[in-house]
Amino acid sequence: MKFAIQVNASPYQYQASDSAWHFAMSALSSGHEVHRIFFYNDGIYNAYRDARPPGDERNIVERWTQLNTAHNVDLVVCVSSAQRRGLLDASVAEKVGGYKHALADGFRIAGLGLWMEGVIESDRHIIFGA
Amino acid sequence: MGKRLVFIVDKPLHGSVKAQEFLDAILMSAAFDQQVAVVIVDDGVFSMLKNQNPEELQMKNILLVFGSLPLYGVNDVYVEEEALSERGLSTDQLHAVSNVVPKNKINQTMLAAHHIFSF
Repeated sequence: MKFAIQVNASPYQYQASDSAWHFAMSALSSGHEVHRIFFYNDGIYNAYRDARPPGDERNIVERWTQLNTAHNVDLVVCVSSAQRRGLLDASVAEKVGGYKHALADGFRIAGLGLWMEGVIESDRHIIFGA
Repeated sequence: MGKRLVFIVDKPLHGSVKAQEFLDAILMSAAFDQQVAVVIVDDGVFSMLKNQNPEELQMKNILLVFGSLPLYGVNDVYVEEEALSERGLSTDQLHAVSNVVPKNKINQTMLAAHHIFSF
């Protein structure tokens, strides 16, 4: 089965990011396809490179990067949600004089059109975080 | 003809940016020619009240965008009749909403959906 996943909540404060990651890992290990994870609303906080949790805690951002590296899952951050919350693509940051290295490896910033494409092309679209 | 997508509004629109980002998703679905329905239930009916002034909170008045949904091809906007009466509200207090329908019509709409979204 082909899954598209959407994450709407910030990491650590809510379980949504953890649940989404566990769901994606389980789906992949059961032979399903997870072709895209879309980060929307406060979900965009999952993509901040400089998140530094204490050493004895799971690193949620790094986990997403590894998911992209190991399974080639497309990690897409909504551009308007991101810009509203101070997360800029390097090229946009260059233009407006913002911080250029905010986005963690494996993520890309793009529009809601990619969210829609995920909804249309997937058998199931699962949202984590209200 | 695309998929049948139902968007549930079950809380007031202003005071958080989430509703605005939800509305963006509704408009994007319409732009992709999906079959979009919006159902307004529970406390969501407060979002349809006339005479709201979110400008005082320096929030955009996204109710105006709601009123223009038909321009985007979204004609199925349903307001739950029971939710109105439970809250002592009447149809004439509502802003630009055409379809006040009983709950079972809303349930049928959701049952027929491929995907259901809320915020």
